[in-house]
Amino acid sequence: MRIALIGNQNSGKTTLFNLLTGTNQKVGNWPGVTIERKLGVIRGTDFEIIDLPGVYSLSPYSIEEEISRKFLFEEPIDLILNIVDSTSMERSLYLTTQLLELGIPMIVTLNMMDIADKRGIHIDLKTLEKRLDTTIISISALKKTNVFNLIQYIKMGDYRQNYYHHIYDHELEDGIASIKEATSSLHSQFLAVKLIEEDPTFTKYHTKETKKIVDDLGKGYMRDMEQVIADERYRYIENIRDEAVTAKKDQTTWTDRIDNVLLNRFFAIPIFMVVMFGIYYLAAGPIGGYTVGIVGKYMALFSDWTRNLLVGFGASPWSVSLVVDGMIAGVGAILSFLPQLIILFLLISLLETTGYMSRVAFFLDRIFQKVGLSGKSLIPFIIGSGCSVPAIMSARTINDETERRMTIMLTPFIPCSAKLPIITLFAGYFFKENSGLISASLYFFAIGVIFLSALIMKKFWFKGKHSSFILELPEYKLPSFRFVTYDVFDKVKAFIKQAGSIILLASIVVWFLISFSWTLQYGINPNQSILASLGKVLAWIFYPMLGTSSWGAAVSAVQGLVAKEQIIASMAIISGYSDTTTEGVLIFGSSVFSFFTPASAYAFMVFNLFSAPCVAAIAAMNKELGTTRKMWQAVLFQTGLAWILAVLVYQIGHLIEVIL
Amino acid sequence: MTKIKSARYHKGEQTKLSNLKKGQKAKVVFLNTEDKALRRRLLDMGITEGVQIKIKKIAPLGDPIDIEVRGYELCLRKFDMSMIDVEVIS
Repeated sequence: MRIALIGNQNSGKTTLFNLLTGTNQKVGNWPGVTIERKLGVIRGTDFEIIDLPGVYSLSPYSIEEEISRKFLFEEPIDLILNIVDSTSMERSLYLTTQLLELGIPMIVTLNMMDIADKRGIHIDLKTLEKRLDTTIISISALKKTNVFNLIQYIKMGDYRQNYYHHIYDHELEDGIASIKEATSSLHSQFLAVKLIEEDPTFTKYHTKETKKIVDDLGKGYMRDMEQVIADERYRYIENIRDEAVTAKKDQTTWTDRIDNVLLNRFFAIPIFMVVMFGIYYLAAGPIGGYTVGIVGKYMALFSDWTRNLLVGFGASPWSVSLVVDGMIAGVGAILSFLPQLIILFLLISLLETTGYMSRVAFFLDRIFQKVGLSGKSLIPFIIGSGCSVPAIMSARTINDETERRMTIMLTPFIPCSAKLPIITLFAGYFFKENSGLISASLYFFAIGVIFLSALIMKKFWFKGKHSSFILELPEYKLPSFRFVTYDVFDKVKAFIKQAGSIILLASIVVWFLISFSWTLQYGINPNQSILASLGKVLAWIFYPMLGTSSWGAAVSAVQGLVAKEQIIASMAIISGYSDTTTEGVLIFGSSVFSFFTPASAYAFMVFNLFSAPCVAAIAAMNKELGTTRKMWQAVLFQTGLAWILAVLVYQIGHLIEVIL
Repeated sequence: MTKIKSARYHKGEQTKLSNLKKGQKAKVVFLNTEDKALRRRLLDMGITEGVQIKIKKIAPLGDPIDIEVRGYELCLRKFDMSMIDVEVIS
C-alpha cells in the first residue's frame, strides 16, 4: 500500500512522518522545511508512506509545491493522509476539498488540537466527519497522542471511501458533470475543475467538447472562473465551519505579545543583529576558542602516543609519518573544532524551530526588496550558516525566478560551519581578545557583500521587475528538546563522517605530495616537494592579498574546493612538516606560515569565505540553477569578487599597519 | 509607489487594503491583481471577495504588512495590497 502524506506548509507533516516511520527527518517552524518528497515505511507494517512538500492548494506557486501536485496526480496512491492544522481550519479545508476531488480514499488527521484548544477553538469532529464524509482522527504529532490509533485505522482499512459532495452551485456542478463524461481520467472530478479553472498545466487535456462546455460556463457567469471556483469553495467551507467550529474571537495570544517586542518598530532590527552577533560570538569567539584549545591538547597527546606506539612496533619512518603527520594532523585539526560546531548547530537549530526566522524574513523583506532579493532569501542565508547545500535547496520556496537565482548565487557567501574553523583559527591567533568580535564582524561583512553583489547583479544581469512576497507567519513554539537534539546530532555525524572520509583522503594526498619530490624521493625539504612546486605555480594569485609569495597558503586555499575545512587540515600538515614542533599544531609558528599579519590574515579569511564554495555546494548550485553555464557564472563571480575584496582588505589593512 | 493618504478611513468607506492602519478591519470587495499567478495564490490563501481582514502587524520599515485572514496570519507587500479594494468595517 502506498500512502501520500499531504497538508499545508508548516502543519506538522514531517513530525507525523517521523513518528509513523521512526525516522528523523528534519523539522522546523517555518513554511517550506520539506522541499523534496521523502519515502518511509510505517512502523510494524509494509506500508510505504511519502512525505510531500507542503501546499496550500493544488495550484502550485513555487517549485517544491509543483512536486506535490505532480505526485498526487500522476502516481498511483492508495490512500491520502491529509494533515490539517486545527488552528487554521478554513485554509486547511480548502486543500482538503481539493484533495477529495482526486477521488482517492483519504483520512483527515486533525493536528495541533491541543494548541487549538488553548486558543479557544472547538471543533466538533462528528459534524465535520459527516459533512466531509471522510474519516477524521485528531492527533498531536508533537505530543504523540493518538498516533497509534491512526496506524490501526490504516492497517484495518477502517476508513470511509469518501463520496463526492456537492460543493459548488448547480450550474457549476452540471458543467463539471458533463466534462467528467467527456473525459476519461482516474481523477476526473479533479481534472474537470482544473479545466474550468483554465489551469495552464492541464490545457493539454482539453478536447473540443470540454472547451465548449467551459466557454459556455464562462459566458453564464461573466466572471473569471478561477475566482468563481475559489469563492464557491470557500463558501462551502464557511458553511462547514459555522456548523462544526466555534472559536473565540480577537484574543491576544502569546505570539502577539512576543511579536510586540520582537517586531517593534525600533528594536526589531537591533534585536536581530544582537542575536546573530551572539551566535557567532559564542560559536567562534572565546568560548569556541577555549574548547578548540582543550581538544587540540588531547589531539597532540594522542598524536605523540601513536607515534611512540608505531616506532615501538618498529614501523618504518615514512609509515609513521603518514599516520601521524598526515592522517592524524589533518583529521585531528578538523575534529578539534567539533565542540564549537556543536554550539553553532545548536543555536541555529533553536532559531529554526521557534518561528523567529519567518519574522526576520518579514521585517527584512523591505531591505531585501531594495536590492532585488526577497525576505524569503533570509531563510537560505540562515540555514547557510550551517551548510550551503541544504540552504541552496531551500531557496526553492522563493517563487520569483530572478530572486531565487540571485539567492542561490549569494547563499555560499554566508560563513558555513566548515568555514568556522578557518575563522576561529585565524581570529583566535591574530586578534586574541577581540576574536569574538572579529568572527562576528565577518558575518556582517558577508551580509554587506551579499547586498552589494545583489545590487550589482540587479544592475547588470537581472533588470528590475516587480515581485511579490507572500509568507505565512507561524505561531511561536517552544523548541522541542527531542528534535533539536536529533538535528544537532545529525549535523555532527555528517561532520565527523566528512572528516573520516573526504578529509582523511585529502590529508593522505597532501601528505604524499609534501613528502615526496617529483623524482619520488622521500625525506626531502618540504620546499622541494611536489606540493611546494604546485603551490609556487599558484602563489602569484595570492601575492596581492598576502603581501608575500606563499606556496603553502596558495595550495591550501585551493583545497577549499574539496571542503572548506580542508584548508585548515592542509595548513596543519604543511606546518607540522616544516617544523618538528610536537606540542600541538602551532600552524602560525612554523616558517611556512609565520609571514601572516593581522591584515593578511583577515584578507585570507575573506578570500576563503567568499571564493567558490566546496564541490558539494557547487553541485547543489548546478542542480538548482538548472544549467552548467549558470553554475560557472556563479562560481567565477564568487571567486572574482572574493579576490578583489581580499586584495582590498589587505592593501587597506596593511596601510593601517604601517602607519600604526 | 502610490502616495498614501495619512488620514484614517472610517466605517463604510471604500479604499485599498494598503491604506488601512494597524488594528483596522475591512471586508474584501474586489481583487484588481493583474498577475494571474499571484491572484490565484491570493485566492488560495483565502483572500476571496467578502472575506474579513484585520491589519495585525506592520513591519518596522513600513512594508510588508501582516494581516489576519480566516484565522491565520499572512504577510503581504504593500504594493500587492494596493490592488485589493476593501470596505472598512472598523
